[in-house]
Amino acid sequence: AASPERPQVVSHVQQALSYTVFDCKWVPRSARLLCLGSAARGTGLVQLYELHGARLELLREIEKPKPIKCGTFGATSLQQRYLATGDFDGNLNIWNLEAPEIPVYSVKGHKEIINSIDGVGGLGIGEGAPEIVTGSRDGTVKVWDPRQNDTPVANMEPVQGESKRDCWTVAFGNAYNQEERVVCAGYDNGDIKLFDLKTMSLRWETNIKNGVCSVEFDRKDINMNKLVATSLEGKFHVFDMRTQHPTKGFASVSEKAQKSTIWQVRHLPQNRDIFMTSGGSGSLHLWKYEYPAQRSKKDSEGSEMGVAGSVSLLQNVTLSTQPISSLDWSPDKKGLCVCGAFDQTVRVLIVTKLNKI
Amino acid sequence: MPVWLREHSWRQTLTAVYLSLHLRGARATPANIFCSEQYLKVSIPPFLFEAILYAPIDDTNSTAKIGNGNIFFTLYKREPAMWDSLTLANAGKEKLQYLRENAVLKAQEKAKEETEAKKITKQEHKKYALEATMKLEEAERKRIEDLKEKERQKVAKELEFWKNQQKDADKYKSIQKKGELNQEVEPLKERKNEKMNKTRIPNEGTSKIRLKSTKGHGSCSIFSQNLKEEQLPAPRAAATIQVNFTPRVFPTALRESRVAEEEEWLHKQAEAQRRINSDLSELEDLKEEEKNPDWLKDKGNKMFAMGNYLGAVNAYNLAVRLNSKLPLLYLNRAACHLKLRNLHKAIEDSSKALELLTPPVPDNENARVKAHVRRGTAFCQLELYTEGLQDYEAALKIDPKNQNIEKDAEKIRHLIQETMQSS
Repeated sequence: AASPERPQVVSHVQQALSYTVFDCKWVPRSARLLCLGSAARGTGLVQLYELHGARLELLREIEKPKPIKCGTFGATSLQQRYLATGDFDGNLNIWNLEAPEIPVYSVKGHKEIINSIDGVGGLGIGEGAPEIVTGSRDGTVKVWDPRQNDTPVANMEPVQGESKRDCWTVAFGNAYNQEERVVCAGYDNGDIKLFDLKTMSLRWETNIKNGVCSVEFDRKDINMNKLVATSLEGKFHVFDMRTQHPTKGFASVSEKAQKSTIWQVRHLPQNRDIFMTSGGSGSLHLWKYEYPAQRSKKDSEGSEMGVAGSVSLLQNVTLSTQPISSLDWSPDKKGLCVCGAFDQTVRVLIVTKLNKI
Repeated sequence: MPVWLREHSWRQTLTAVYLSLHLRGARATPANIFCSEQYLKVSIPPFLFEAILYAPIDDTNSTAKIGNGNIFFTLYKREPAMWDSLTLANAGKEKLQYLRENAVLKAQEKAKEETEAKKITKQEHKKYALEATMKLEEAERKRIEDLKEKERQKVAKELEFWKNQQKDADKYKSIQKKGELNQEVEPLKERKNEKMNKTRIPNEGTSKIRLKSTKGHGSCSIFSQNLKEEQLPAPRAAATIQVNFTPRVFPTALRESRVAEEEEWLHKQAEAQRRINSDLSELEDLKEEEKNPDWLKDKGNKMFAMGNYLGAVNAYNLAVRLNSKLPLLYLNRAACHLKLRNLHKAIEDSSKALELLTPPVPDNENARVKAHVRRGTAFCQLELYTEGLQDYEAALKIDPKNQNIEKDAEKIRHLIQETMQSS
């Protein structure tokens, strides 16, 4: 029964597309959204829509030679709003959407498809240089600075001669001042690795047994607080990142939500304890994290270890029969989000009553 | 023969007959009374009273009162008339019979009709109840839908309002931007044309700033961007971090592994290590270390290396007696037997080793290759070339890149062809 006090997920607009959409993103400071994907003839498509009442109006369509897998506005300033994309061929491009014929920045960063991209330092959030990180099927994670051509500023690659695992997801975090920054990467064998860019070293790694589909810090621009990692077989883990134990690493709580893969996790920009997960069964789950009474405690040897809290389900809704592969909250309007699914539909949703939580 | 009850008294009015029947101490219940239009019977075994009434009565409204050893009947007449007597006087036996049967039939029909009527009313009640619940549920659902609709509309309105705000803010920005844009596209195109000349972006940046400041807009956004650009740290010094991926006994991710088989193999190995046949009487003579199959295996290997094949066989024998589940013992013993030209024994041992090396997993590949090769060699030395070739081919399947096995397999094929030609 729909309890009127719980947040409701209202489907506002549904738009059928004629291509496979892999990523959808809100254009910051606007009511416009972008859909990135691959057309049937094997080319990449970027479509810009604007929200008009109860429908989406197509403002612009840009076609590129290679299918586009992912995109981010994270490393661009609010005035420029350049889009950084990773495509199926391993190319990283940054586009000015008003003049998209020639990319502002372009590099063939990887030998294989770029699975995931993230940006930090832009949009007036956080401090430090704007940087973009890309994770690829060739097993490497590379950090790029748009001011430096051709070579990455950091490269996390497998040891020579070792077999490589696909990197499925990357995320920035801990960017609370000009020097500090970490990159978290999830791989298909269940590895999660945390790289510290200030010391250029591996800070922590763990393995959650199932391939990691999506990682995200609750906020990129603060001292790292929480990290959510979702995986195949319907499980996700929430790590408390404030206290790192020398051997046990970070404390975590895990939840098995759905029987199918959890494709994406996205935190609400306006409230870092609420996040939404999207599943392979076409459903969305809205979760709230509650902190424990004490976030850290001392173990038998006297070193600090973290205490994980608990996660509760606020609402869930099934929108489609195909996986919902991409999800993005609007940074400007609380509760407004867009999701793209493999049934070639993009949906704009509104989540109500988030103020009351 | 029933005992007839004859003690009754009656009186009548125009519309009703009052009959009082004395029961000789018998207890009556409503089930004992049977009444139809013209026939009245009270049967309390062994007592019996029956009467063919003078005129028909209205049996549905008539009543009977039981008490004080009497039954008091109040019978309402069909037609108001005075009766000459209670019963029909000249009722013949047949008439009696006929009336009786009729009465019974009529009663039965009535009962049937009643049950039918009851059924129908029951059904109607059910239907009514169902409809009522359905209506209730509909109402509930509608209420929820309405709530949702209201939410939706409210939210849509808010969205529109917010969007309009955005639009206004945007219009202002777009006016700024249009001017800047034309000047930005030019330097970009130039950059593309100069393919050889890779201009560093800091130069770009400064040229951009210059362009912007000449616009002379003076809006705070441009100035703050300038400031920010100056404050940005230089690009990071490039570095590489090497990573290792989590090792597993079998280096495949959970989704790829054939876990069941691999687990079985691991389990078997563990089992084999732990098991020791400890029911041998000669064990007391042996030293502590001689009871350890691994130590014995090592001893055997050393002796084999030195050429002492008989000694090695002895060591392996003892080890096998202690623990018959270690495939490597049989494998090595097969090698010894080969050297000693005990070919049948070599074949036996290789076969036993192969048996123990199931299920086939990448971990025991080496061992399986060796087992096949040794058995193949033994077969060939016994001149059973076809069996030998089979084993060599199996070994090749596991390890296709091994040159020695290739060569030997070729040799055997030639030998087979020769023998076939000559025979």
